[in-house]
This record gives sequence, structure tokens and C-alpha cells, in this order.
Amino acid sequence: MDCKQLWQNVLVEMELGVSRANFTTWFKDTRIVKEDGGVVVLSVPNAFVKEWLLTKYHNSILRSLRNIENSIHAVEYVVNKEEARRRDDRPAKDLSNTRELPLPEITVNKEDNLNPRYTFESFIVGPFNELSHAAAQAVIKNPGIMYNPLFIYGSTGHGKTHLIQAIGNHIKTTSPGKKVYYMTSEQFVQDFMNAFQHQKIHIFKEKYRKYDVLIVDDIQLFSDKQRCQEELFHLFNTLYDSNRQIIFSSDKHPHFIPNLEDRLKSRFLVGMTVELPAPDKESRAAIISAKSLQQGVTLSAEVTDYLAHTINGNIRELEGAVNALLCQAQLKGKELSLLDVRNYVKNNVKPKKIMAVKDVVRIISDFYNIKEDNIYEKTRHKEIIRPRQIIMYILREDFNISYPSIGDRLGGRDHTTVIHSCEKVKNDIKEDRELLEEIEQIRGLLAVS
Amino acid sequence: MKIECIKEQLEEVLNKADKIAGKNTTLAVLSGLYFDARQNLLNIKATNLDIGISIKLPVKVIEPGTVVIPSRIITPFISSLSRDKNITLSTKEQTLEIKTSSTKTNIKTLPTEEFPIIPEIGEDNAFSMPARDLVFGVRSVIYAAATGSIKPELSSIAITHEGDFLVFAATDSFRLAEKKVKIKKIPHFKQILIPQKNAAEVIRIFDTNTEEVSLSIEEHQLALRSGGVYLTSRIIEGVFPDYRQIIPKETTTSAVVLKQDLINSLKTSLIFSDSFNQMTLKLSPGAKRFQIESKNSNIGESIHLVDAALEGEDISININHRYFTDCFQSITTDSISLNFSGVAKPVLVSGVGDTSFLYLVMPMNQS
Repeated sequence: MDCKQLWQNVLVEMELGVSRANFTTWFKDTRIVKEDGGVVVLSVPNAFVKEWLLTKYHNSILRSLRNIENSIHAVEYVVNKEEARRRDDRPAKDLSNTRELPLPEITVNKEDNLNPRYTFESFIVGPFNELSHAAAQAVIKNPGIMYNPLFIYGSTGHGKTHLIQAIGNHIKTTSPGKKVYYMTSEQFVQDFMNAFQHQKIHIFKEKYRKYDVLIVDDIQLFSDKQRCQEELFHLFNTLYDSNRQIIFSSDKHPHFIPNLEDRLKSRFLVGMTVELPAPDKESRAAIISAKSLQQGVTLSAEVTDYLAHTINGNIRELEGAVNALLCQAQLKGKELSLLDVRNYVKNNVKPKKIMAVKDVVRIISDFYNIKEDNIYEKTRHKEIIRPRQIIMYILREDFNISYPSIGDRLGGRDHTTVIHSCEKVKNDIKEDRELLEEIEQIRGLLAVS
Repeated sequence: MKIECIKEQLEEVLNKADKIAGKNTTLAVLSGLYFDARQNLLNIKATNLDIGISIKLPVKVIEPGTVVIPSRIITPFISSLSRDKNITLSTKEQTLEIKTSSTKTNIKTLPTEEFPIIPEIGEDNAFSMPARDLVFGVRSVIYAAATGSIKPELSSIAITHEGDFLVFAATDSFRLAEKKVKIKKIPHFKQILIPQKNAAEVIRIFDTNTEEVSLSIEEHQLALRSGGVYLTSRIIEGVFPDYRQIIPKETTTSAVVLKQDLINSLKTSLIFSDSFNQMTLKLSPGAKRFQIESKNSNIGESIHLVDAALEGEDISININHRYFTDCFQSITTDSISLNFSGVAKPVLVSGVGDTSFLYLVMPMNQS
């Protein structure tokens, strides 16, 4: 009988013997912490209860315990701090309603809004972001003169915010006299609305005109906000004319931001417009190893490769996965094997898309220009076998379907056949670049369908 | 049980014990006061299982015995006896009879055997200090402690031993108060955390006490003894925030004002402060101006100038009125120094020439 059940039984017996009020006062939040060689250790919420149980109920507790477990010969009482804490459970004053700033912790610098975490040192440069990184470096060397404004666009999680904040942080350290300010478009809009309501537009105008480097994040949020666009336009002109550096980021090229005035669009394009595309696989691997190194852990090449391969595109997601994995490794106190990682990825990341096996088969057979039905048949023509193997490989690697069920769905094949096919494709990829490219193309097709 | 005692003395003890007795408890006996009479001493006990008290009162014991009486009945009753000096209490079965020269009253009692035992902590290693100093230290910081129980370490008062001083500190993460009290003896503890509610009782019980109070500490429990009073409270397990590192080291603007002047000006601005108690302090050392502004869109607005000696850069900062004024009760000097180190940085308040007390208050969001 385990401790919990043992104590439950004792409690039932005790409840019969004492009044309800007495029972709830003295036996609430009590439990057995351990039982060792006939000595039961009882956890109680506070010293009062300890004293009381010891003097008043000790004998009956011991008797009940012995009725159930004859080997028990002593009871000890310990005050449990956790229980004591919970005792006083009145709801705290709702702090969300107050507007005081809490006493500081080290996070965002209030004066320039920059997060010190974002630096060039932690920015990983790969083939995909070489160009934007170079543009940023140029801006740092010659703020306000080279590439003004700098417009960086790319999909979420590609490192826009990191890059533009890193520029701000760098300029701040190298030329302390310069006033740098980072804001999101949302803040700008809020601020503008506030100023507008309180008729303090002039203060608002002044505030932003004093900065030497102004960084505006997520500029696409300005679409539809005509008055704000106008204000931004004037602000832009003032800063631009006095050679102050302006940096924008957006998730789209300025041309494709809906409802953005043409005069703003053309101004955005005056300086340098660069894209931050999705990281390629090598860059992803580099990012993963850098992030894990930051945490003081080195992942094996195998694991890094697997992660870079399975988690596509979004760096934020990559970082999250790496963090979670490292945390797991710490908890388990051992290095993570590829199997652990696979399991984690299976449960936590994707499938980005849930696709029917049929659709996968259709897309791939279309790609190879063969009939869908051929895949399911027992044909052993060379032109059919290869696509079939690739289908198996993709179903296994990208969709995590089990070997037997893959075999089952592709015309009732044995799971060993499937394993063989997957292994074969995996090995062939290493030598056959053409095949690798084909598979990447297929993955692209699957991703957009 | 049968005893005879002086009304004033009994009333005083009952008033102390009444607040400790449990309110709204499941166990009725917890809302009672335990009377134990023997050897010419009446020992009155009360507890709510969080804090417990036992007070000894010399009385004439005619017949020793024990009884538990509901506190909310006997305390107001004894207070209401204005004309009489001597009181006789005697038990008859389940009732307590209270007789004075002009009244005779019967009160139903509660079962004695159910009254909890108040944990007794040994006096080895006890550390003693004047009760006045202890109360002064606790009172100087208690208002800054958080209420509620989400973070137990913030809803408590930290007493830390540092060299020749006991350092009392409390914070609710929006403001922080710290008071240093000089001690003669060296205590055996490094730091203890007393729940804010229980600390308030410590103030109440020992406020008028002019003697020494001895502190004994055991795991989870603290005991205070002075004269016939024994008070025991639980101690919070936890670590008090390391607040020293958030005390600003540099000052960009500083002001010295007369305490009374500032209090008067703040009284005015309170009338016009908004629902967040917000007011704006504007200091311009260049123009030698220190003004307090408050504005409430429903009422109006007010600007008040304060005479002050200013130094440093111009600054304008929004502060919660209540949080700011709270600390003045703990400042004993006539002049107050205010130190600012930036718009979003805490404001440091202290008495001029008094290093024993300091107060930090965070400004409100500027938007």
C-alpha cells in the first residue's frame, strides 16, 4: 500500500472520530511524506497543527496506522513550508490595473527601446542573409549617408528585428553621442493617436525629429492608416534632409504593401532595399549550432543536420526547438541521441501541413510524369520504382508515418520493403546531387500545395 | 475557576488578544480566548493558527481552572463596563459569570479541551533588543510590503543582520523601504521574513512596551517575549529580493525640500489626481522651479510650486501619489532629499542627514 492510500485510510477513520470542524482544521493539508522502517513521517501545514496532532491525536493516528500496517511503530511530524505557503490563499491585489513601473530588471532600455540582446555578435551570417548583413555594415560605417533609408523585408522569423536592432545597438556603442531610437509601427501609431487626442501633435513631432538614427519595425502595419502615413512622410523628409539614418523593416517589398501611399513607397525605395529570405539548410545548421553553443552545449552533426532539415524557414521556431531540446537534455542529464530529437520533433514541430498520403502520391507522380495508379501497383519498372521509393522516403522523413502503415497504404507492401527503400534513398542522396535537388523540389511543391 | 481582577488591566489584555483570535474559522473554539488561572496569574491565550499570543496578568485566584470564552462577546463587554473597577469571574458548568458592583452577566463558554496549544519555542539563543527599536524598525517599512499571498516573500518584512545594524526592508515591487536600526547585541540569525499581517500585530502588541523584547527563532517559527507577553508567528520560507542592486548609484537631478512644505503641496495635488493617483513632478534646476502637477479630466487641474534647493538636469516624472507620500511617516528629519536618476528610473527619497532610512519609488508609465 502506498503512502497516499495509507493516509487516506487513516483520514477516513479519524474523520469518524472527530467533529467536522475539528477534522478540517487539523487534518487539512496533511500527508505522509515517507514511510521508512516502521517510522511514518507526516507533513503538516504549520507548527500549531504539529503541536496539536502530537498532543491530542498522536495515539489515535498511530493506532489507525497500525491497524492497517502492523509494522509501523512510530510517527514523526514535520512542518511543510509549501503547505504553509498555500494556507493563506486570499487573492492578491490585482496589479494589472496599476500603471506603476515595476522596479527594474535588465531588459529593454527605456530611452532607446533597444533590446541589448540583439547584437551583431549573435547574428549569424549565411549565404541567405549575406547581402542584408553587408548593407547593415555599410550603414554602420556611414550612418545617414550610405543607404538611407535602409529597407529590410522578409517573412516572419527571418531575423529582421535582430538585424535592425543590432544596427541600433552597434551605433549606440560606437558613437555614444548619437541618439538612437527603435520603435514598432504600432508604437508610432499609438503615440500619434495619443498626441492627436490631447492636441499635442507638436510635441509628438519634436520627439521623433531629434533622433539621429530612427528604426521603425513592421512598417506594413501602416497600411490603411492615412493620417499616420502622412505624419511618417513628413518625419521621413525632415530626417532624410538632415542626413539622419532611417531604417525600416517590413514583411513585404514596399511595392506590395497594400494601401500605402505612392509617395511613401517611392521614398522607401530611395536608399537600399534588401530581402531577408528564408535561411538555406546550411545556414539553418549554422544557426542551430551557434544557438546551442550559446547555451554551452554542442550538438552532434547528426542532430544538427536532422533539425536543420526538418524545421524549415523560421529561425524563431529553430531557436525554440533548440532551447526545448537543450532543456530536455539538462533534465535527463545526458546527451540527446538522434532518436530523442526525432521524438521531440515528431511531437512538437509540425507537421507543418497535414496531407493525405494520396495527395503526396499525386504530387510526386505528377512531378515524375507517371500515372498515380502505377505507384500502388506491383509494377517493377525502373521509372516507377524510383518515384515510389522517394514517396516512401518523404512520407517517412517529412510526415513521420510508420513503416508498416506506409507499406500498407502504398498497395500493401511489406514494411521491410519500405525500410529498404528509405535507406536506399537516404544513401543515394549522399552521392547523387541530382536526386537531392529533385527531392528538394518536391518538398517545395508539397510546401506550397 | 474563580478570579478577581481590575477592569482596566483585563481590558487592556483582552484588547491585545482580541485581534489575534481567529475570525470566521471553521473551528469555533479558535474565535475564543483561553483563560487559565493558577498561582495568582491569569494566562490569556488567543490564536488563529498563523500567529498566537499568550499574556500573563497578575490577578487574585480564588479557585484555579480554565475556560474558553468567545472573544467578540467578552472583549466589548468588558470595555463597556465604565463605572466599575473590580470584576469577579467565575465558571458554573458551561457558563462564565461576570460580576461587578452593578452588573451580573452570564456568557456561554466554548469547550476548553479543543483549544489549540500555542507552540512554545525554547529561549536558548534568544536575542534581545528594546521593544521600541523593533517596533520602530517594523513600522518604518511595513506599508511598503505587498498584501496578498501570490509572492509570500514580498508580502513579508525582511529583518537582516548586518554588522551593528538590523536592517528592516519591505517591497511590493513598485516601491521599497529600508530602515537600519542600531543594535548592541549580536543576533544569531542572518535573515528572517515575517508575514506582513503578523508584523502589523507585532507593532500593535509591543507599541507601548518600553522594555526589552527577546527574539527566539526555530525552523518555521519565531517567538517574541517581553514581560508577560509571548507572541509567536510563522516565518516565511523564501529569499527576499536582493534589492541593493536596484538602488540607483548615480543621480542626475536632486532636490532638497522641507518635509512639511512637500506634504502640504502634495495634499493639494491629491485632490486633483486621477484615478491612478497620478501626479507629475517637474524639476528645472536652471529655472529654480520645482512644481507638482496633477490633473483629473473630471475635476480640474492644479499646479503647485514647492520651495526647494535643486541641482542637475531638468526632469519631469509621473508618480503615484499614495506610494510617494507613504514614506514621509518614516522620515524623522525636517528636510527631505529627493534623488532622480532618469525618467524611467526609481526615485530615491531619504531624510537629509539621516542614512538609516531610504525609500525607492518607481515612476509611472509616461504614456
